Amino acid sequence: MSYLWHQLTGAIPLIVHADPYLVSLTWVTIRVGLISTSLAVVIGLPIGLALGLGRFRGRRALQVLANASLALPPVVVGIVVLMLLLPQGPFGSLRIEFTLTAVYIVQAILALPFIVALTPAAVQGLPPGLIAQARALGANRRQTAMLALREARIGVMAAVIAALGATVSEVGAVIIVGGNFQGHDETLASALLSEFTYTANAPYETAIALILLVLVIVLIGGLTVVQRRTDGIRWRFRAAT
Amino acid sequence: MSFLWQLLRDAVPMIVHGNPYLLSIIGFTLEVAAIATGCAMIIGLPIGLAIGLGRFRGRATVQLLANASLALPPALVGAVLFLLFSSQAPLGSLELIFTRKAVFIAQTVLALPYIVALSAAAIQGLEPGLLAQARALGAGRIQLSILALREARIGIVAAIIAALGSSLSEVAAIAIVGGNIYGYNQTLASATLYEVNGAHYAGAIAIAIVLIGLILILMCTLGLLQHQGNGLRLRFGTAES
Repeated sequence: MSYLWHQLTGAIPLIVHADPYLVSLTWVTIRVGLISTSLAVVIGLPIGLALGLGRFRGRRALQVLANASLALPPVVVGIVVLMLLLPQGPFGSLRIEFTLTAVYIVQAILALPFIVALTPAAVQGLPPGLIAQARALGANRRQTAMLALREARIGVMAAVIAALGATVSEVGAVIIVGGNFQGHDETLASALLSEFTYTANAPYETAIALILLVLVIVLIGGLTVVQRRTDGIRWRFRAAT
Repeated sequence: MSFLWQLLRDAVPMIVHGNPYLLSIIGFTLEVAAIATGCAMIIGLPIGLAIGLGRFRGRATVQLLANASLALPPALVGAVLFLLFSSQAPLGSLELIFTRKAVFIAQTVLALPYIVALSAAAIQGLEPGLLAQARALGAGRIQLSILALREARIGIVAAIIAALGSSLSEVAAIAIVGGNIYGYNQTLASATLYEVNGAHYAGAIAIAIVLIGLILILMCTLGLLQHQGNGLRLRFGTAES
């Protein structure tokens, strides 16, 4: 046990003194998590609501596709995105291969299936009469969508939590499109891989692992608390309107 | 587009002609998926059953832990195992680090939460009267467990699908504890990292195509089994009555 104790005592000072490398890793991870998840929500929520509420042809097939895309291996998505971004590829002129921008894009693509697949599931789980009643009372599309979103918010929050968790902890695609450049587009999770594989700088490894654990607990735990609290907010909404 | 076309034209022959390196990593990938999922089922199903059926203290806590561990970043699990397995560490004398066994163990640890959390949820989702009735009719623990497993089999197959899917596409934990050693303990997913790192893009694409194919075959087969389970139930039912 003294070995593990030694690792911990080596790691704590690094964290307490805000080692610049650790700070940059944490900052990159938080940015990737928030930016990619926000992108995925902005793009995915309208699609998810359309799949959940819409009555157009091919809706079923699209929903099956969205569910299946949850099983896509991140490394495969990473390779496809990288091939598109390489200088010889179709989007090569953007010159964003192996940059943080590319990491945002690939993580947003990976977060998208969570939003697109889980939002319709949440909306379709609402009491069947609710949406029909709103429509019968003359709600237009936007109003119906807002109502569905408000009523299904616990499921939608679960989708956002899942997306955020994926973007924070994913490694394969980040390394493939970002190249894992130290202090530039390395996240906490991807740094663990490079640190453990090529060097033996154990205090750093332990420090990174500790920060990642705390970050996941704070982000996911915090959002879960918000999710549970929203039931309370609902009451206030009702009283105000 | 000619760049992408050229890559595909280089990649396809590797698959068609059965490149020996490719065959060896396909073999190891299947081995990891089978061993890890198998071990996770052996360890996890009894725990899932205990949570789903048991009436002991701390049951809710165990379930909360199982659910929370689904959100653990695989890189973190890999880092913890690395710290336990490395040569001076508590389990260092087992000499597991950078071996195939280390990969099996890491993947089992990652598959376990899926089996425990999802099988417990499946059992808890059974009609409330069913198990109570079996108990009242004098079923022993083992009989009760078999009944619960049989009735909740759709959810349990879903748990197995999730566990298999994670072991096919996960890279971080196995690359950390296994070292991603060329042709020795690489899976298809972790081999793509290696290929991209060496700028062997055609190789990476060939591996990605095989990986997608493998996932499609396994998921479709299990998905079909899952739905045929309902047909089996009828036959079971009539055989007994």
